[in-house]
Amino acid sequence: MNSNLFNKVLENPLSKAGFVIIVSIFLLAMLAPLIAPYDPNDFDVKSILLAPSWQHWMGTDGLGRDVFSRMLYGGRVSLLVGFVAVGISTAIGIILGALAGYYRGWVDTVIMRLVDVMLSIPSFFLILAVIAFLTPSIINIMVVIGLTSWMSVTRLVRAEFLSLNDREFIMASRTLGAKDARIIFSHLLPNSLTPIIVSAVLGVAGAVLMESGLSFLGLGVQPPHASWGNILTDGKEYIQFAWWLSLFPGMAILITVLGYNLLGEGLRDALDPRSEAK
Amino acid sequence: MLKYLIKRILWMVPILIGISLISFFIMHLAPGDITSNEAAFNPETSEESRQKLRELYNLDKPVIVQYGLWLKRMVKLDFGHSFKSHQKPVFLGTTDKDGNYTKGLIEQALPITLMINLLGLAITLLLAIPLGVLSARKYQQWQDKSITLFNFIGFSIPGFWLSLLLMYWLGVVNDWLPISGLHNLNYEHLDTWGKIKDTASHLVLPVLIPSITGLASITLFVKNGMLDVLHQDYITTARAKGLTEHKVVYTHALRNALLPLITIIGLSIPGLIGGSVISETIFAIDGMGKLFFDAVTSRDFPVVMGILTIGSALTLLGNLIADIAYAWADPRVRRGVARG
Repeated sequence: MNSNLFNKVLENPLSKAGFVIIVSIFLLAMLAPLIAPYDPNDFDVKSILLAPSWQHWMGTDGLGRDVFSRMLYGGRVSLLVGFVAVGISTAIGIILGALAGYYRGWVDTVIMRLVDVMLSIPSFFLILAVIAFLTPSIINIMVVIGLTSWMSVTRLVRAEFLSLNDREFIMASRTLGAKDARIIFSHLLPNSLTPIIVSAVLGVAGAVLMESGLSFLGLGVQPPHASWGNILTDGKEYIQFAWWLSLFPGMAILITVLGYNLLGEGLRDALDPRSEAK
Repeated sequence: MLKYLIKRILWMVPILIGISLISFFIMHLAPGDITSNEAAFNPETSEESRQKLRELYNLDKPVIVQYGLWLKRMVKLDFGHSFKSHQKPVFLGTTDKDGNYTKGLIEQALPITLMINLLGLAITLLLAIPLGVLSARKYQQWQDKSITLFNFIGFSIPGFWLSLLLMYWLGVVNDWLPISGLHNLNYEHLDTWGKIKDTASHLVLPVLIPSITGLASITLFVKNGMLDVLHQDYITTARAKGLTEHKVVYTHALRNALLPLITIIGLSIPGLIGGSVISETIFAIDGMGKLFFDAVTSRDFPVVMGILTIGSALTLLGNLIADIAYAWADPRVRRGVARG
């Protein structure tokens, strides 16, 4: 990304807000061990279900654990799952999309049929079944979300490659005798990078939502590890007398996902030449 | 048109085979033999049903033969019987020798999920179309900006959190709406009007929440479609003819802006079916989502595989219907199809 684009993104107040949200959450999660006032897994029978106060900013849960500290550590899980899952799906998407778009023919047909198959299986069902059968863990969640969400990147990269393939600079490079790998990695891919970045940023938003949904169902991050989704599940039991357990984790998910969506759409607008014409 | 239809349907065969391969593979992901205690940890699983399972999936034969035999039964829409739920058939019901009909699990759950999702979709469209049109007409003005902000929040809000908050506020604090199931306990004793009122009040939250979260993407879609269309020449012509703004927007522009919406609705089906897991578990509704969740957590393999396959087949069917509807609605596609 060049600095010009960066400035363009920050000009738009919505995407600027998204950028600030993501950076703040990133810092909070990274610095969790320094900021967290308590150990996130420390039980304290004397302070069960305390309302938010100066001692416990976001109150305590049913086991007397400090919710603010758990939220900070839960934020690490969300970031990790989001980045790793999207890393996996983007890598698969780039490889398959490049193969399909560059070689066309039967390679393209096979890959695109695979995309069709994956798109027709309701992905939440697939993820749920795989994770439940493999036993839930953070690693499994990241891998499974990654393995089930590469289809849109594949289509995107393929479309970019198909449209770039006939452009003069690619033909020139081919005429000069450049090898396939060189054309793909130093010409086609760099020119397709911007839409891939947009889709990755928006993909993180989806992965964060997915992880919190799985954890909410009890098939995500397993206790005692904190995740925003499983804090919320605990909160569900106490909703009548401990609103803070349900409010804060949901707000955190909403704000994080909103941040990625705002930034992603801001990037898309900044990169889309049509957006100025409108 | 007929030729197109046949081609389109034949196209679905390799995809269905791919789907069946993936569903089959998933069953084999579980550690060890699927009849072992580790996999089928459900203590209700008896030795008898384990034996049945071994026979059902031909576990003594090579994997490729197992798959072939499973596929053969699947073509006949026979997905076997549930491990739990008193050995109920997975998909379609069966009549035993005494003439008693046992309803299949999916047969029972599917209409409930379909009804909720179709109602939700109708509400989404009723709200999203006017909002999207407004957003496009007042582009960059405060109306558009507020709708855009609302869309971003709609995109980002976790549905289960919204469900939880609304359930608490409307159902627990205020007691305006029932919060679980589809009927009250006294449902059988109500008159027809009472039954309708009872079911409707149970449906408000489960239908409304997915439509709120789905609203954002459809609104954005209508807005972008309208923005593209409003700049085209035929709209200028319509304006130049002196048609009222309302007529230009709603009869000339909207029709073309809405065309691609057909495809989007078709594509949103897997998301809707998948999304039903969380909302049906929260509101204790016995639809496909809850059936699937319960089956997954108790490793009820025949039900899991059945729902994966049926859910995917439904998606394919939905896309097919969307494609046909598109061809029917768009004369350009229709003519192109007739020629090709």
